[in-house]
Amino acid sequence: MILALDPLYLTNIGLAVVLIALLKVVLAFAIVLVAVLFMVWFERKVIADMQHRIGPNIAGPWGLFQTLADGLKLLMKEDLVPEHSNRFVFKLAPFLAIVPAFLTFAIIPIGGNFESKGGSVRIFGYDTYLQVADPPIGILLFLAMSSIAVYGVMLAGWSSGSKFPLLGSVRASAQMVSYEAALGLSVLAVILQTGSLSTHEMVADQAAGGFLGFIPNWNIIVTGFVPFLIFLIAGTAELNRPPFDLVEAEQELVGGFHTEYSSFRFAIFFLAEYLNTINMSAIIVTLFLGGPSGPVLIEGIDWAWGILWFLVKLFVFLFAFVWFRATLPRFRYDQLMDLGWKLLIPLSLGWFLFLAALNIGNDRGWNPGVVVGVTIVGGFAGGALLMAAIRTARTERISQEVDAHG
Amino acid sequence: MLGQYLPLLALLAIATLFSAVSLVMSGLLAPSKPTPPKLDAYECGIVPSRDTPARFPVRFFLVAMIFIVFDIEIIFFYPWAVAHRGLGLFGLGSILIFSFAVFESFVYLIGNGALQWGPLKQVAHPDGSVSSKRTTTTTVRRVGLEDRIPGPVGTEEAA
Repeated sequence: MILALDPLYLTNIGLAVVLIALLKVVLAFAIVLVAVLFMVWFERKVIADMQHRIGPNIAGPWGLFQTLADGLKLLMKEDLVPEHSNRFVFKLAPFLAIVPAFLTFAIIPIGGNFESKGGSVRIFGYDTYLQVADPPIGILLFLAMSSIAVYGVMLAGWSSGSKFPLLGSVRASAQMVSYEAALGLSVLAVILQTGSLSTHEMVADQAAGGFLGFIPNWNIIVTGFVPFLIFLIAGTAELNRPPFDLVEAEQELVGGFHTEYSSFRFAIFFLAEYLNTINMSAIIVTLFLGGPSGPVLIEGIDWAWGILWFLVKLFVFLFAFVWFRATLPRFRYDQLMDLGWKLLIPLSLGWFLFLAALNIGNDRGWNPGVVVGVTIVGGFAGGALLMAAIRTARTERISQEVDAHG
Repeated sequence: MLGQYLPLLALLAIATLFSAVSLVMSGLLAPSKPTPPKLDAYECGIVPSRDTPARFPVRFFLVAMIFIVFDIEIIFFYPWAVAHRGLGLFGLGSILIFSFAVFESFVYLIGNGALQWGPLKQVAHPDGSVSSKRTTTTTVRRVGLEDRIPGPVGTEEAA
């Protein structure tokens, strides 16, 4: 197994290396903050356009500084801690929401020349990757951080000492953990192709080769679209974004888990939400669309092309998330749970086993047709079993209801 | 090897510091005039009449418990996925047996109704029929009509 490691830290870690690492961290932090500011503006502007409104247009050119103005306003608003709240947990929860969101960004490769230089760039005479860190655990960090983010939501609602935040956070936690299972299973399909957990390796793997000379070797094609679709749906649910935003269904729950938060504590939750949207889009691009890999059209500034391709792909998904919000009506809670547990999880498990069998069959020279045939038979058998179980549960419930109410 | 985690630590520190400093700044800049209504639980302007319920539907606990089991099982797939080409046929057989065990317990849970969230309305009248005896006059109890003079149209007597 090859462990992709940032070459920067393979040499002796001296002062220069530490300084470069710090520079990367500070730069990434600044980029993320600015990106979030513009993401909020972008979402408001696009939704306004889709609803035939103008949207923010006062602060700065085209309202570009609207988010900054909102942030400054929130900074100067009164910060309330409800008296029924658990004060320590109430103050801890925003940190648990924002810190994981920042850390997730660290594993995303945002640039580099994957055509000929393996994705590394030279800064001050040191080779390094254009990503904050490339730890061996790679994509597991993303899953771990999204698990910790559940704590932020859960504790925020629980510690508020108020009923709407509690209901919102209980809903949110159940939703997020449900879809995390589907998310984890669909990432497995990519790991089967790459054979590594490192995000850099995943991009490098997708940058190499291709079909017919012009179709790229992206995992969205190699893994057969299904894991990509599952990841996109589960990711949207994980973000609590429409159409899965039951967490903050205004008609039922006021503002959801952050109802009691005001001032900058609220701003931090807001920041984390949009940061997670950007992260999720970037993770989708990294896993399925080849990240910053792409042709270098002009030699010399080869590092800039990686960033350009990455941004182009990222924007597709940022726009898609806004588009979902403008278009799709909200799910009902039982529909949400049924979709996650009864469709996405079994489907992604089955697809994972199919891809694994294809890989191993390929190594051993089996006929792929046989693997596909066995998968179809197995899939139908599993599907029939699942349908029977769903039917049993339903008839059981109906007879209980009839017994209870006549 | 551990050097790879150095920037992560730095980012952790910066993110925490950023949040902490902004909160302190907000504390310095913002006014602070707490009043009892402000500090009460927000319930759309109505004074809360009872405490926050300490209990919520058991289904949420069930989902959390099921999730822990499934998440651990999914994590077992990860090392296998990284090493699956080296493990060959033996590995494929093992993971199929393991997946069967996972899937079987999953089907058992669903069959037991552990993940049944459906609205009661659909379930209560499975064939879509409601007894014809149940009308607005039989199910709505009218009170306070005893001493009243019957109205002209649209009241009980007129109907």
